[in-house]
Amino acid sequence: MAKVVDKLINSLNPNVSSGKTLLVLNALGMAFAALSNTFAAAKDKNTSAEDKKFLIPAGLVTGVANIGIYFGMTKKMIDGFENSAKNAIKNLSDEDIAKKSLEFANKQILKKEKGFLGTGLFKKSPEYIQSMKTNLLKDGKPTEVAKQLFKDNVKSGAGVIAAFIGAIVGSAIITPIIRDVSAYIVQKRIEKQKPHLQEQPYFPYFDPTHVGMGPHGKFDNVVAKKQPLSMKNYMAFTNGRTKI
Amino acid sequence: MKINNIKQQNFKGDVYNSVTKFVTKHPAACAALAGSSVIGQKVVMSAAEATVGPAMDIGVGRVITKVTNEKDNRTNQSSKTQAIRTAAQAIGGTIVGVIVRGACIAASTALLAKAGQKAGTKFADLMCNSGKIDPKNIYQFQENASKWGKSIGGAIAIGVMLFTNFIIDAPFINVINEKITKAVDKISTKKSEKAVNNG
Repeated sequence: MAKVVDKLINSLNPNVSSGKTLLVLNALGMAFAALSNTFAAAKDKNTSAEDKKFLIPAGLVTGVANIGIYFGMTKKMIDGFENSAKNAIKNLSDEDIAKKSLEFANKQILKKEKGFLGTGLFKKSPEYIQSMKTNLLKDGKPTEVAKQLFKDNVKSGAGVIAAFIGAIVGSAIITPIIRDVSAYIVQKRIEKQKPHLQEQPYFPYFDPTHVGMGPHGKFDNVVAKKQPLSMKNYMAFTNGRTKI
Repeated sequence: MKINNIKQQNFKGDVYNSVTKFVTKHPAACAALAGSSVIGQKVVMSAAEATVGPAMDIGVGRVITKVTNEKDNRTNQSSKTQAIRTAAQAIGGTIVGVIVRGACIAASTALLAKAGQKAGTKFADLMCNSGKIDPKNIYQFQENASKWGKSIGGAIAIGVMLFTNFIIDAPFINVINEKITKAVDKISTKKSEKAVNNG
């Protein structure tokens, strides 16, 4: 356990790899979301104990599969991208690095001077800019600090690209497939055991997003819609509800 | 098996080479992304979710309907409902998520910068503050504070969002969901009216 915590804290260190920091934070968010959805299912009064026996493990398995695939895939990608970037830096000549790091340093200084998107928001103080200039530039040439900063940033930026690709594939492709298929399986199982539910109007089961809406009370808008029993009813415990 | 292995190896090698090529060509673009925080990740993710996610939902519904030979088309229908919900979640979740993340990151950066000013503490070590902060190293110090603020603030935001999700996101997403549903209904009735008029 202590090792896991150590690893977690280490992965938050921005100086090691910002791609991995993003990956761990996103995976943690997904894990919390899956847990809180499953918890909401476990606490729900409208769900029978018998259903819970099936729904809670189903929710956990869905969450673990979703996060596991996303994490494994993205971690490999970040490692690969960072290695490629290291190689790419080796390929660059010293002149190239000097030229590019000078450009980079100048851009960074301008960014801090002008603030967020040139709006002046989050603008840095003149002392900060002065200190930045003395650290990064000397006689119009980049210092060793600036060169190292540029190299580190290229590697770290490649990791960030991998983390972004992983996040896109994870949230737009892996999650919908796992969520929708598992919801279908849950729905079919409940329909088989309780065929009468098919004729019932849409009932929110343990869907926390429907509680408290509508002008006449808690569930009125839900009942008023009279939606048929559907995949959606049983999705609350999968990663479809709480998003972090 | 062997052929498969070789293919996989080649695929990996190709990706590796093309990434190396890309980085060699555009090192500045990579370097610019280096400081990205969870805010950037959230925006990128939500954009993908809002555009690709709904299509995926409908696609998965169609595949299930076809594979299981479902006659009443119910799965297909409910996957459309889910598609709208996915889009609503992406929009609502991004607005709330970016605000909460930004606030947490700003607060942690400010707190870390304050805590790191006393030399000899753990925070000072994180900020690489070995002695006094003078005008010469204020850049390094603040840069470290903002770096750590981004990662620690991002972690705190996850905890905070556990609560804001139920308090703010859920009703907010419901409102967006209803609006999109109405808009989609309007479009489909217009389409069917046109079809009737033309037919």
